[in-house]
Amino acid sequence: MFKTTWLSLLLAIFVLGCSSEESSVIQDDNNNSVTGVDQVNDDQNSDSADGKIGYSAMSLKNPFFVIISDSLTEAGAAHGFSVVTTDADSDVNKQANQIEDFISQGVDAIVINPTDKEAIGPAIKKANEAGIPVFTCDLQCVAEGIEIAGHIGTDNFQGGELAGNAMVEVLGDEGGEVLVLDFKQANSCVLRVDGFKKVIDAHNESTQTGKITVVSEINGGGDQDIGYKAAADSLKAHPNIRGIFAINDPSALGAWQAVKEADRLDVIQIVGFDGELAGKQAILDGKIYADPIQFPKQMGQGIVEKLVAYQAGESYEKTTLIPTALYKKEDAEKDPELQAAE
Amino acid sequence: MKKQKYIRVFLVDYGMVFVLMALCILISVLTISDMHPEDPAAARSLARSLVKEVGSDINVLVVARKTSADEAYATALQDELEAGGAHVVAVELGTPATLRTRLEVLGQQDERVDFVATHDFSSKWRVLSSESRQEMASLYPALSKLKIAKPPSYRWPTFLTANNLIGILNQNAPIAIMAIGMTLVIITAGIDLSVGSLMALAAVVTAKSLESYLGGEDASGLSVVFAFLIAMGVCALAGVFAGVIVTAFKVPPFVVTLGLMMVARGMSYILAGGADAVKIEAESIGTLYSSSVLGIPSQIVLMVVLFIVAHIVMNHTAFGRYVYAVGGNETAARLSGVPVVAVLIAVYAICGLAAGLAGVLDASHFGTGRPKAGEFYELQVIAAVVVGGTSLMGGEGKIFGTFIGALILGVIQNGLNMAGVDSYSQMVIYGALILVAVLIDQLKKKVVKPASS
Repeated sequence: MFKTTWLSLLLAIFVLGCSSEESSVIQDDNNNSVTGVDQVNDDQNSDSADGKIGYSAMSLKNPFFVIISDSLTEAGAAHGFSVVTTDADSDVNKQANQIEDFISQGVDAIVINPTDKEAIGPAIKKANEAGIPVFTCDLQCVAEGIEIAGHIGTDNFQGGELAGNAMVEVLGDEGGEVLVLDFKQANSCVLRVDGFKKVIDAHNESTQTGKITVVSEINGGGDQDIGYKAAADSLKAHPNIRGIFAINDPSALGAWQAVKEADRLDVIQIVGFDGELAGKQAILDGKIYADPIQFPKQMGQGIVEKLVAYQAGESYEKTTLIPTALYKKEDAEKDPELQAAE
Repeated sequence: MKKQKYIRVFLVDYGMVFVLMALCILISVLTISDMHPEDPAAARSLARSLVKEVGSDINVLVVARKTSADEAYATALQDELEAGGAHVVAVELGTPATLRTRLEVLGQQDERVDFVATHDFSSKWRVLSSESRQEMASLYPALSKLKIAKPPSYRWPTFLTANNLIGILNQNAPIAIMAIGMTLVIITAGIDLSVGSLMALAAVVTAKSLESYLGGEDASGLSVVFAFLIAMGVCALAGVFAGVIVTAFKVPPFVVTLGLMMVARGMSYILAGGADAVKIEAESIGTLYSSSVLGIPSQIVLMVVLFIVAHIVMNHTAFGRYVYAVGGNETAARLSGVPVVAVLIAVYAICGLAAGLAGVLDASHFGTGRPKAGEFYELQVIAAVVVGGTSLMGGEGKIFGTFIGALILGVIQNGLNMAGVDSYSQMVIYGALILVAVLIDQLKKKVVKPASS
């Protein structure tokens, strides 16, 4: 009986496994069995190449990376690549294992969102030694002595500047105290805060009235729960806060909850980051004033474009940073994504 | 009758081996796909077939990646082609970009190339696609007849390749090593929740002691070994501490090790100073992980040796018998003269030591001490032990079973990863697996007890 359980379990895996396997068509195998030479025919269309991309996602619990996976799969299929997505679950050890698995499966390229900017280095080095190109996406790897074939991510500093502009705009002539919910572990989030503060500093220099002071920068964990607690404590410590910048949507939503419980929704404005569905909805509902939004869809497409150029031996831009765009209530009202969700 | 009973007992004790084998066969069948030979033997047979089929009057460009394995492949290909009388125009080891440059140079020099001899991986580079070749043919007459030759592919399970199997063993070695200590603890009817945190503590202590006391960047191999010993010693001491609290104050092991788990995790973060990872600059840090014995990663060798030692200790020494006796019936064991307190303390110390070793291996693997290392590993380790047939009630269990249990978990994870299953579903499957194992454990008693009484 237990064996049947096992079997049905694995049959389920089989079905899943097959669906990703199917698209890898074998190159034509004319006359090889007799001669032991596999010649690739001239009439072969380049789109039928049976390439395979291994993608180790940061965490498939975060919809952001699911979108990257989907766009990678879609763009890959258009160029004859099948994509195997694995979930590193924010664990560098898991990701290193997944990269090793990709190497032994003999994939044509590896795409990762590095779970640790340093510690993933040795695994990338192994892929380098096996001659398999590695592309990074969203987050970068800073380890030394490794080769990254290409990177695509968000221009987080520019995004931070947009957030700063939004804050200056919403606080208007009065200015006031601002709380920042940061997440120093992620370099991308540090850049967001840097960009934000650059705009705030510039604003303060150019104006006499309505100066904005960042009274506190604390860890919002990039998480709704931690963001909520951090904001709730800060609101008690700083009774005059007028604006909150949170480095992503979950922590922005956590902050909103805290502001609501403190009964200060009418005086405090929140600027978030990311533009994931829940964030966009919150902007539509007026909970968040604005978000610099990222474009994960373009990341999957961009990676495939780089891979195709790499394989063709053509020159291509090694690093692409996609600028963010500011998303406000009027954008949300026109957003088909939100209408579809309703 | 007696024979039947032995078979039954064998099936109950080693049934998991069959489960593992069934799993391997199943995953093998499911992962059958095209294999593309890239070894020198395949290169030579490709060269011979090419000369035999189209004659020796050909100009060949040998193409491969710039890796040591590919270099051997290309050299074999070149040697055999030249031995057969064919002309090797050049050997291009590199990337699609360098290959494009090479082809353009050959085209400009009007050097005729009939064949690109390569392997499957490079044959898929788009610079060699029919479109790209047509384009080049229109620019350079010398390349107008360019064809591609590669060794024929064959069907074989991706799962059943030496690379993959070694990979599974290597990836699961730290968990399996910790599972040895955990088996001992669980046989005494205890539990140790602190192993994952101790693993992190060991990694961070290794990194910190190298950075602060043992010379940092200039630390010698000996200093690295010393740092490893310090880290493992700290974890063994933590185990002793847990054992003392459990025995002296009769606090349930679950609570003691739950506390230790939090303390060790917190201390790892404090030691790391809030950083994600403490980088280890010493050059020889990676040696332990990356070295190998007869082509087998030393981590695997270490694991196998430890399992053999543990098996011998548990089956052929007084200490092993004491451990079983304490788990079976502590009072009876005490009355018959078993040093219960010492045995329990030793068992937790061994468990801590094993966690320390896993942490040291982690530090060597990633070249950093990560306070986040080993999160939730305690659960995987316990799962390996339970799946391996050790009873949580204590008194019974086998080291060999734990080895099989760790492999079953590793094989399933490998299969799930190959199928691209997300971590949510993996958790469901893992959980279901543990439930099934515990059910088997219960049924086992029902099946065996009536037969033996």
